[in-house]
Amino acid sequence: MNLEILIPLLAAAVQSGTPILYATLGEIFTEKSGILNLGVEGIMMFGALAAFVSAKFFGNPILAFLIGGGAGAFLAGTHGLVCMNFQGNQVVSGLALTILGVGLANYLGTPFIGQAAPGFSPMPFPVLSKIPILGPVFFNHDPLVYTTYLIPPAMWAFFRYTRWGLGMRAVGEYPQAASAGGLRVTGYRWAGVLVGGCLVGFGGAYLSLAYTHLWTNGLSAGRGWIAIALVIFSFWHPGRAVIGAYLFGGVMALQLRLQASGTHIPSSLLLMLPYALTVFVLVLSSWKRQGTGVPSALGVNIEPSE
Amino acid sequence: MSSCLVFFGALSLSLAVSAVMLALQNKPPLTAIVLLFNGAFGSLVAIQDCLIKAVPIFLCSLGVAVAFRLQIWNIGAEGQFALGAIGATWVALRFPDLPWFVVLPGMLVMAFIAGGLWGFIPAVLKLYMGANEIIVTLMFNYLAILFLDYLVYGPWKDPVSFGFPMTREFSASAIVGKIGHTQLNWGIVLCIFFGVAIWIFFKYTRLGYELKASGENIKAARYAGLPYHGLVMLVLFLSGALAGCAGFLEASSTINRLQPSIVVGYGYTAIVVAWLARLNPVSIGIASFLLAGLRVGLENLQLDLQVPAAFGGIMEGIILLTVLAGGFFIDYRISLGKKS
Amino acid sequence: MRRAMFIGVFIAVFTWGVAFAADSPMKVGFVYVSPIGDAGWSYAHDLGRQSIEAMDGVTTSFVEDVPEGPDSERVMLNMARKNYNLIFATSYGYMDPMLKVAKQFPDIVFMHCSGFKTAKNMGNYFGRMYQARYLSGMVAGAMTQSKILGYVAAFPIPEVIRGINAFALGAQSVNPDIKVRVVWTKTWYDPATEKEAAKSLLDVGADVIAQHQDSPAPQEAAQEKGVYSVGYNSDMSKFAPKSHLCAPIWNWSSFYKEMVEKVRQGTWKSESIWYGLEYGIVDITPMGSMVPEAVQKRVLAKKVEIASGKAKVFVGPIKDQSGKLRIPKDTPANDKELLGMTWFVEGVVGTTQ
Repeated sequence: MNLEILIPLLAAAVQSGTPILYATLGEIFTEKSGILNLGVEGIMMFGALAAFVSAKFFGNPILAFLIGGGAGAFLAGTHGLVCMNFQGNQVVSGLALTILGVGLANYLGTPFIGQAAPGFSPMPFPVLSKIPILGPVFFNHDPLVYTTYLIPPAMWAFFRYTRWGLGMRAVGEYPQAASAGGLRVTGYRWAGVLVGGCLVGFGGAYLSLAYTHLWTNGLSAGRGWIAIALVIFSFWHPGRAVIGAYLFGGVMALQLRLQASGTHIPSSLLLMLPYALTVFVLVLSSWKRQGTGVPSALGVNIEPSE
Repeated sequence: MSSCLVFFGALSLSLAVSAVMLALQNKPPLTAIVLLFNGAFGSLVAIQDCLIKAVPIFLCSLGVAVAFRLQIWNIGAEGQFALGAIGATWVALRFPDLPWFVVLPGMLVMAFIAGGLWGFIPAVLKLYMGANEIIVTLMFNYLAILFLDYLVYGPWKDPVSFGFPMTREFSASAIVGKIGHTQLNWGIVLCIFFGVAIWIFFKYTRLGYELKASGENIKAARYAGLPYHGLVMLVLFLSGALAGCAGFLEASSTINRLQPSIVVGYGYTAIVVAWLARLNPVSIGIASFLLAGLRVGLENLQLDLQVPAAFGGIMEGIILLTVLAGGFFIDYRISLGKKS
Repeated sequence: MRRAMFIGVFIAVFTWGVAFAADSPMKVGFVYVSPIGDAGWSYAHDLGRQSIEAMDGVTTSFVEDVPEGPDSERVMLNMARKNYNLIFATSYGYMDPMLKVAKQFPDIVFMHCSGFKTAKNMGNYFGRMYQARYLSGMVAGAMTQSKILGYVAAFPIPEVIRGINAFALGAQSVNPDIKVRVVWTKTWYDPATEKEAAKSLLDVGADVIAQHQDSPAPQEAAQEKGVYSVGYNSDMSKFAPKSHLCAPIWNWSSFYKEMVEKVRQGTWKSESIWYGLEYGIVDITPMGSMVPEAVQKRVLAKKVEIASGKAKVFVGPIKDQSGKLRIPKDTPANDKELLGMTWFVEGVVGTTQ
């Protein structure tokens, strides 16, 4: 395949996959602690709006990015509240959060549609961007993309080597045993929900600060749901999440490039590619290793015992 | 009784929060609430509009409730709705000259099967490949809507409509008619039929009982010999079929053709309704009517107060969250004293 | 004495009646298919609405984001029941619902944008955006070096296809070898997808990006790569000052004002209106300073020609993508052909699906 076409496509895959990656990593973090948060799409939208509005008012993209994460954590917090304090069904609560988050973002964002805000621009990495092939693909993006290169290894190390990481995994697998062993289950789960929500919010913020500098209704266009599927695809492993996210970014970018190169395939069918691929990938990963990697207590509320 | 409290408590809280949000945006909250109610229920015509709108919501919710009862999370009602519309359209376009008593049942059957199939496939993927039905049914929504797009932009495009994406208008024999001089269509009869059928199914049949039991404790149910696999497939098929019927009615009676704007989020509202009504068919009927009222009343808000269209999503989200939180108070007795 | 009193009462009642009629403001309603904040199609209509809101004795209102189908019918019924005098529906799919409502309310004037059905109290209207597109194509054609123009388009409906064709013809009038590549985003406003679509066109060598989209995202993409772009719906130069060449835009204000006046004075009648450059309902923004004087002059001259009717955009011989002759030599296409255009002219690369 022509390198001249391949390299821009791969670069687009990385950039397009970045918001999905943030969201996937966030959801992995939450699910590791045993809480299922299906509200990713809503949190992404809400984080995107919060970041956008902050950028407009404060003029500082970095601050805006952080606020986006904070907004994500806040919204995820309601999910935590409903599930942990009110024993709400986690699946339905997540769905409610999606509806609410998307609704809030669309509603509050209405006055901002079509406006631009200061954001992040591509910043070629000093030496590394000159490396043939790898350079343009990985090191010619905005700083937020470079940040995502650091998170998966950090997360991996966290879950593998630190006391808190191990504690969180225990809480996600055997909450009763963990509780008996002295670990504060709800404490870990709150951490999982809030930090995870923050990362998802970052993913949304990326969309409105870096991917484009504009706001519109429906900015996330289903990326949140793809992220949830990718969590399963990656077997809850941060490293594989990277592969999944870039794969999806690539497919989304690919269908547009296929059109640009003059294919005769109807665009509606091409647009199906990301979603069909999600199903395919999900089925394949669930089939191959049924149940492996799933935190055993995922989605199950802990009954109040005191 | 307490579930009634939660039901209305959730709705009231949602209204209250919405009123606050409107006030923050300098729109008069009380006027807004009045407009909302007036728009939805303030006249006979409005109530008719609500009933018409409640029909597809009701059918989709019924389907969603059937699945949820088994703790199968069918998020795909939107796509199943679309597939049902597609199936019905196929019959309408293929056989425009046959009399209505052949075409209409044909459309209904086709919609039932098409929608049912769209629910059945995720069931198979779940049972034999372990694929999580939440993601699969959701992705199937996108696939269904894009497929509908493909059909109306391509092979089924109306030759008369100047290239706009829509099918030919259905012939008179393919349109579900209105009841007498009202605006209501005969789809209401279908709702009553299915509603009663499902209610009987839940309450009086063994299978219906098995659904509930299996939903609550899969392992115990399996141990007791209940056919979990069969139940999942049945439930997802039925769920999709009901949503498909809603699609048939929308295409046939309300729009008289197939076009992309037939998909307006009933599948997602259905989830809110089903949960609000605690999966009970009678309550689903009431909740569908109320949430249809919400949609209708909101248009009034838009017209008179320029409230943006996205407001409806917020209200639905708040309702669902409050219902969830409220469920806590039903399922757990709160004791104010310390346990000994 | 009695007669004087009678006349006096009559005059009083008459003037009071006239005053009353003059006092009760005319209510004009608008139905939009997308949110007005999208800086695009609905936004342009809303600017027109705002200009008639500023008129004496006129109040306006609108409902946005109304799906085509029964919802739109209900919205229009609602307006009719609230005694609106004039209702504008701004999307093709509102046609049938509007017709149904128009039949029930013969005293209200209904106007439908981009359709073709009429009734005694319902007319339709549109603007010849393709004329402005042609001009923008001329500009793009003069500025391109790679001879590949990229077009980010929303939905393959006739008005979009017509616009692309006009753009291509305009560019080809400068250089017949120019190709236009089309990417469908299947959305009117989704900056992320639009930007990605623009980038995909840039990657295949396009050096001018045009759009039939409502957000300025494609302009951003063009500027980031350092190439040119053509906007749409409104002057998008503030988003991409270095790349924005010009933009075809809508200007509904005069038209809406004219309709309101006609209805107010009772001179309105049902017809199919399709105004163009001559009326000012469509226009092209001032061209950026990067466009050479000679080019600007030529484009503006052409604008005058089209506005006066001397020149037409779609005049044969025009072949479609497969080489088939669609419009014979020296024959101008008629309105019906234009309204139902679902094929691309030669030189456009892409499908119409």
